[in-house]
Amino acid sequence: MSAVATKTLLEVRGLEVEYGRVRAVDGVDLDIASGEILGLAGESGCGKSTVANAIMQILRPPAHIVGGSIRFEGEDLTGKSNEELRRFRWRNVSMVFQSAMNALNPVMRVGDQFVDMMQAHERISKHRAIVRAGELLELVGMDKQRVRSYPHELSGGMRQRVIIAMALALSPELIILDEPTTALDVVVQREILQEVEALKHDFGFAVLFITHDLSLLLEFADRIAIMYAGEIVETGPAATLAESPLHPYTQGLLQSFPPLTGPRVKLNGIAGAPPDLREPPAGCRFHPRCPYCAPENAALYLRQTTERPRLREITAGHFVACHLVDA
Amino acid sequence: MAQLDPTALDLQLAVPKRGIRIGRIRVPGWLALLLRNSKSRTGLLIVGFMVFIAIIAPLISVAHPNDFNILATRQAPSWHHLFGTTDQGSDVFSQVVVGARRSLLLGALAGALATVVAAVLGITAAYVGGIVDEIVNLLTNVFLTIPAIPLLVVASGYLRARGMWTMIAVIALVLWAFEARILRAQALTLKNRDFILAAKTSGEPTWRIVFGELMPNMISRIAAAFVLVFYVSLLVDSGLEFLGLGDMSATSWGVTIYWAQVNSTVLQGEWWPFMFPSLALGLTVLGLVLVLAGVDEVSNPQLRTEHKRGRLVRLVFGRAAA
Amino acid sequence: MRWFARRLVFYVFAIWVALTLNFLLPRLMPGSPIDGLLEHLSPAQLAANPGIVQTYEALLGGGHHSIGQDYVTYLHRISHFNFGLSTSNYPTPVSEVVGRTLPYSIFLVGVAFILSFVIGTGVGMVAAWRRGRFTDSFIVPAFMTVSAFPAFVLALVGLYFLGLKAGWFPIQHAYDSNVIPAWSWTFISSAFRHAQLPILVIIAAYAGGWVLNMRTVMINTIGEDYVGMARAKGLRDRRVMTRYAGRNAILPPLNGFAAQFAGAVGGLVFVEIIFSYPGVGYTLQSAVLGNDYPLAQAILVVLSVCVIIANLIMDVLNFVLDPRLRTS
Repeated sequence: MSAVATKTLLEVRGLEVEYGRVRAVDGVDLDIASGEILGLAGESGCGKSTVANAIMQILRPPAHIVGGSIRFEGEDLTGKSNEELRRFRWRNVSMVFQSAMNALNPVMRVGDQFVDMMQAHERISKHRAIVRAGELLELVGMDKQRVRSYPHELSGGMRQRVIIAMALALSPELIILDEPTTALDVVVQREILQEVEALKHDFGFAVLFITHDLSLLLEFADRIAIMYAGEIVETGPAATLAESPLHPYTQGLLQSFPPLTGPRVKLNGIAGAPPDLREPPAGCRFHPRCPYCAPENAALYLRQTTERPRLREITAGHFVACHLVDA
Repeated sequence: MAQLDPTALDLQLAVPKRGIRIGRIRVPGWLALLLRNSKSRTGLLIVGFMVFIAIIAPLISVAHPNDFNILATRQAPSWHHLFGTTDQGSDVFSQVVVGARRSLLLGALAGALATVVAAVLGITAAYVGGIVDEIVNLLTNVFLTIPAIPLLVVASGYLRARGMWTMIAVIALVLWAFEARILRAQALTLKNRDFILAAKTSGEPTWRIVFGELMPNMISRIAAAFVLVFYVSLLVDSGLEFLGLGDMSATSWGVTIYWAQVNSTVLQGEWWPFMFPSLALGLTVLGLVLVLAGVDEVSNPQLRTEHKRGRLVRLVFGRAAA
Repeated sequence: MRWFARRLVFYVFAIWVALTLNFLLPRLMPGSPIDGLLEHLSPAQLAANPGIVQTYEALLGGGHHSIGQDYVTYLHRISHFNFGLSTSNYPTPVSEVVGRTLPYSIFLVGVAFILSFVIGTGVGMVAAWRRGRFTDSFIVPAFMTVSAFPAFVLALVGLYFLGLKAGWFPIQHAYDSNVIPAWSWTFISSAFRHAQLPILVIIAAYAGGWVLNMRTVMINTIGEDYVGMARAKGLRDRRVMTRYAGRNAILPPLNGFAAQFAGAVGGLVFVEIIFSYPGVGYTLQSAVLGNDYPLAQAILVVLSVCVIIANLIMDVLNFVLDPRLRTS
């Protein structure tokens, strides 16, 4: 299922984001080709959502980008004016937010929330916009009469469909799904993701799929990037990562859920908690939790605790940042 | 005259268990927390100064601040009379510093009484629930609907004697509802916590849970609610005195302002008899408001203003300084 | 709709409590209520007011019956807007005195309080949206400082500096003494000029509370996902601030509007007295100081009813502004 890399749509290089003095994202590189599904996985608080907000350029103080570049179709977003950025949002990249429950304005009818989005980007009458909103709702399997509903009158799954319909409205090249299904039950979750896959087939947009649930990514993504403590630690085609994960953290994540088929195995997970980003550990940020980091192997231990590992290409398209792999 | 909506203050305070040492002085945890926030630090400083003045008042004032002196009436502020004199020749400075004693004491006591009533009623109602809660809630809302000042004006009109304790009781009876609403809401969020449920299952009587478990755990919130009602009482009490409905023979800020108003000194261009006690009153209230704003920031870090000092420094001294 | 019915029941109950409190207050004081009231009067006042004993008896519901009977008579009279005769304006009916003064008060506090809400929430909204910028760092503290002073201090300061020293505003009464109250242009413009300073004072006293309240709620609202989504949708900044963040943040302060209004009615009493403004607050003080209990009681009832009506209006507005209330 690996994507045919036609052209690079989004190119993130050395992205650094700080909240006050805390560096939440530290030197992240990402590439998304048009039409591709890239999965971004990691524990909560590792900086995944911050990457999404940085790409959308909707970080709010005290969060701000301190370094790196974000290029969309070759143009650097950091050099754009506020008005250019405003036009860029949703027209080129749209986003499905973390919690379906809170992403819609509770005091506005669903239809009106379509209308003001459309009117922010094109000259369109309110009547025309409502008609189009109805068509979009039908596209995601909802009754078009729902444009008259208020968000609280819809179930969680329906609200998420509304947001997906909104995300499609301007046919953007890239849709960011930021934990789109965490608040939903498993059945609805699956329905919605299949919906997205079908729509992607018809519309041909690229997807940046952010989740803490690696099992979902193995199923839906073309490529996967694993994030830990503000850094990308491993990235590669979904199939490669599933079969031969190289980073101990990735291995831990893969072990924290049971395989759908096969014999029962013991779930190990990862001991410990993610580090405090105010004072990240020296050297490899994963070393305090790493099962392969022990003082017995003195030379390796010294490197693990003092030197930051860099991403290196192991096989074609499979990168990992780990001293164990170098050794 | 409650100018702050008490519901805006979600007074949750994470007080460090142990005190903190600053040099050789041991500072209790809650105080250290408040001193670290610039707003509550300023507020505490102002309030502390006022209390200090009230304590040392006899040392810095004339013996009888209400003494007449027909030879020195309506004098503008000077070295001899720092805040000038009234139309009766009384020294305004002495009236303000001595008045601080009664104004602060009355405000604090009325606030304390209202706090006790509100804490007992509000917390018990929240814990017991059911019909008791309904009744207390209804009563609270009714008291919040009937305008407090007109009610106090009419009630104190009926009083035969308006001594200090009577005024404290009347003010507390009208103001308890403000606090009861806050404390009830906070107790509601606390009542389903594990330690309360544990006490309940182990068969502790209701009164022991309310007084022995809930109240000690809400002490910081009760204290914050007290600060709120303290300054509201201060305002209400001076207001009533200003209307001529307090103990008019006493020396207090409100009484001094009342006489300034009655004798139309303002209309004759004499600003000092009303301006100085008003300033003292306003400053004290501002101090208490700042303490509360600080408490609010400590408990809700989102509200903190970032880089404010840096901005001010830059604004005043230019970019190079920051 | 059930929510609405519950509110209505509550308001009826609140009015009943206000009336009962009114009935009980003179009886709670030690001694016979009438003797207690008469004790305040000087012999000269008694001589000038021959009907005063009867008036007080009527006020207390008859005076010769049991307390229960008195109470029924009292409620019956009040329900017919019969508040008795004013002893300080003997023999003018209390309802006439209140009817003459109430419009001025409603005009003053209505305009002033709505303006303070609009200005306060507006400033609070902008301050929260542009955290740490000019509005937040300078205008908010300024509002907070001014509002820490009680209304009567602000009124005196305004009277002295803006009225007396600068001479920008008239400093007393509701209109010029040479104007006759009527629906004429001269009267309206004169009334308007006289209302300016009192309105300014009430705004200064109460806007600060709204600023602080709105700023706090708004800061929490800005963190909501729907505000982030609105920005992601590429809406203009101003639209996100008003239609998404501000529109939702205004609901909690609006809920507190009525309770604050009850407070502002207190401030009104002081402002009217200082500016000799002939509204109910001014009348209330002179009634209480002149032992005109029928009038004082009637004003307390009328003010309570006004606050309740304000509550009712706010409920309707809340209902219109928050769709979630309509379905649940």
